[in-house]
Amino acid sequence: MSETSILITGMGAVSAAGDTIPETLATFERGQRNAGPVTRFPTKLTYPVFEVKNLPSRYYLEGQRTLSLALIAVDQALAEADLGDVSGLRIGVCMGTTVASQLNDLQFYTSYRERDEAPMTAVDRFLKGNLAEVISRKLKARGPALTVVNACSSGTDAIGVALSWLRSGLCDIALAGGADELNHVPYCGFGSLGIVNPGLCAPFDRDRKGLNLGEGAGVVVLEKTTAARKRGRSSELVLLGYGSSSDAYHLTAPSPDGVGLKASLRTALDEAGIKPEEVGFVNAHGTGTHDNDLVEGNTLAGIFGKDLKMLSTKGYTGHTLGAAGGLEAVFTALGLREGWIPASAGFSNQDDAIALAPVRVKTEVGGYYAISTSLAFGGNNAALVIGRGVRE
Amino acid sequence: MNVLGIGAVFAGGIGIKSFEKALVAGWQKPVDMEAKWAASGKYPVYQANLDDVPDKTILKKVRRADRLSKMAVICAADAVKDSGIRDINREKVGVIVATAFGAHVTTFGFLDNILDFGETAVSPTIFSNSVHNAAASYVSSSLDIKGPTLTITQFRFSFQSALQLALVWLQQKRCDYVLAGAVDQFGDVLCYVADRKLTTAQDSRIKPFVFKPTFQVPGEGAIFYILGREKMEKTYCTVQSVMINDNTSQGAGTDVTIIDADGMLPDESAYLACADSGALLAAYSPLFGTMMTGSAFNVAAGALMLSKQRYYPNPVQDNPRGLRILTDSGPANIAAIECVGYDCHSTRAAVRLIAK
Repeated sequence: MSETSILITGMGAVSAAGDTIPETLATFERGQRNAGPVTRFPTKLTYPVFEVKNLPSRYYLEGQRTLSLALIAVDQALAEADLGDVSGLRIGVCMGTTVASQLNDLQFYTSYRERDEAPMTAVDRFLKGNLAEVISRKLKARGPALTVVNACSSGTDAIGVALSWLRSGLCDIALAGGADELNHVPYCGFGSLGIVNPGLCAPFDRDRKGLNLGEGAGVVVLEKTTAARKRGRSSELVLLGYGSSSDAYHLTAPSPDGVGLKASLRTALDEAGIKPEEVGFVNAHGTGTHDNDLVEGNTLAGIFGKDLKMLSTKGYTGHTLGAAGGLEAVFTALGLREGWIPASAGFSNQDDAIALAPVRVKTEVGGYYAISTSLAFGGNNAALVIGRGVRE
Repeated sequence: MNVLGIGAVFAGGIGIKSFEKALVAGWQKPVDMEAKWAASGKYPVYQANLDDVPDKTILKKVRRADRLSKMAVICAADAVKDSGIRDINREKVGVIVATAFGAHVTTFGFLDNILDFGETAVSPTIFSNSVHNAAASYVSSSLDIKGPTLTITQFRFSFQSALQLALVWLQQKRCDYVLAGAVDQFGDVLCYVADRKLTTAQDSRIKPFVFKPTFQVPGEGAIFYILGREKMEKTYCTVQSVMINDNTSQGAGTDVTIIDADGMLPDESAYLACADSGALLAAYSPLFGTMMTGSAFNVAAGALMLSKQRYYPNPVQDNPRGLRILTDSGPANIAAIECVGYDCHSTRAAVRLIAK
């Protein structure tokens, strides 16, 4: 591990798979899928979702559920990093989201439409709910703050931006990841696109019928080796590379040849200074939609070979949109740390059109490197390379 | 980091030449938008003028896009054209779109769909266009750009954050060029919110040097920049630094300070600190309107001043404190310009531009 390495010194995750990392690992081990009907808002639609149950009361913020979820993950990550009082430190905060970036409050808008006036409560919540700004202000941090709204790759891109900040010297420590709540508007929107599974999602399966929506937050604490050493800390987990590329193809469909995903993987591998054969496993985006899984599966097979150990964790969390990249980066790091990855939930039958298959059972993984990928609306693709080094 | 090309879409038209023309011409009255909630039934706005798009082929590529995305694509294409750069390796061009409110008009359109037709009969096209990164996606697909494409939102400092990231991407050679810019749109709901939370100028004039009380007139539009490491023949200026939440004084040696005062805050007295350096003060918000991302326009004014070595007078010159503000147009000898913004927490952002 070099002086310039970027360590992962803390992680936090909350999703339907668990309110904490130990709970999540237990869920993964059991292969348990905590999906059910929507309870968050009234709806006539019946698509199952992955909700976070039992939000701790101290985190409850009226009308700001995404922020609540983010703060849970942030607190977990900070606790693991054992940073103590961080006020005044050069800490960057970069968070991805989708829902928290939109003023889509149906009650507010209905009032505006029907009465030509509306209370400003929802507006105030929106204006005071920018994830990165709130977290940065709460920490009294002195460093850049940025909210990334890159649809489903937001969390991955946020971590990639934080990596660039740290390498450039804009900050010494960064909190990065993603958060999103289950919201009525995208629930209807994804339904309209015809890509939501009426049952449970089955990423990469021959008979996959679409995604399930979920909610949650995943956050990592990133730290320069030098900054960590100053406070007597180190970590065996390292963030090594980030790649991001656009398909320049279509607003909602991935490029059939996976051109953007290939480019982002190439960049991430180059930045990490490793070869595809050194990668122990890939935590794929794997939404369970026909197009995503076809393109992603074949692209991964083309780069890493058919024997790649690969999984999608969306069978445990649903598609958490802006949170997905943050959660999946945490899950990828956990796989490296724990030495195993869970069964790719929902997968039963190999699709002959996809040149590789995800793992069907809890699987031991070796090696020092793993990758997390995200593919997004708008044709954006992003990849992170995470490494497990030797503790100093 | 060098400014190699600038695109503009605003109330005065399309293109950096239109923007320069507006800087020379001075204040123009905004248009009146119908507003059912306003006592007069009308409301002043600086509505972007998309009547004369120079490259009609670009419109075909965004025929299904909403107005926000159209503004972004027209502006981004304009910036590329303005740079005159050919033979770009499009895999090494990054796109960063900064926006405060994104496709909120389309989002409300989607809410109309839910309310009018029910959850099962909503439009997938409207939903797709309401996603925050739709504009960036249209930019990359319309211009065939395949580098990293990012949409960011940080309310008042979205644009400065985009510039700061562009600087990092170029330094780290993640990109050869970055197409970075800001786009925001107004709609009746946002104007209603602005009217409720801020004070609308009864005479339609934003007065940036009054500071308190402040008056706003909503604006919309886009500004995009082609940014690169190397200077080229058509280089407007160099972006020396972008500082956010860092109050390190950069005022020394600054010839002109352009402030983002635009009536967005009820008290803009924080900008008075900018007068301490002795630099001439300018503010161009009365040309494009009150916008969270308005600093993108002020930086463009600074880039033009440095490139042309010419002063542009303040469009509205109400100056009750007798500050040293730019009053006249004319040739200049400018080495450095600082563009300064404050948010509601008095956090400061500064973009420092120097002559090429």
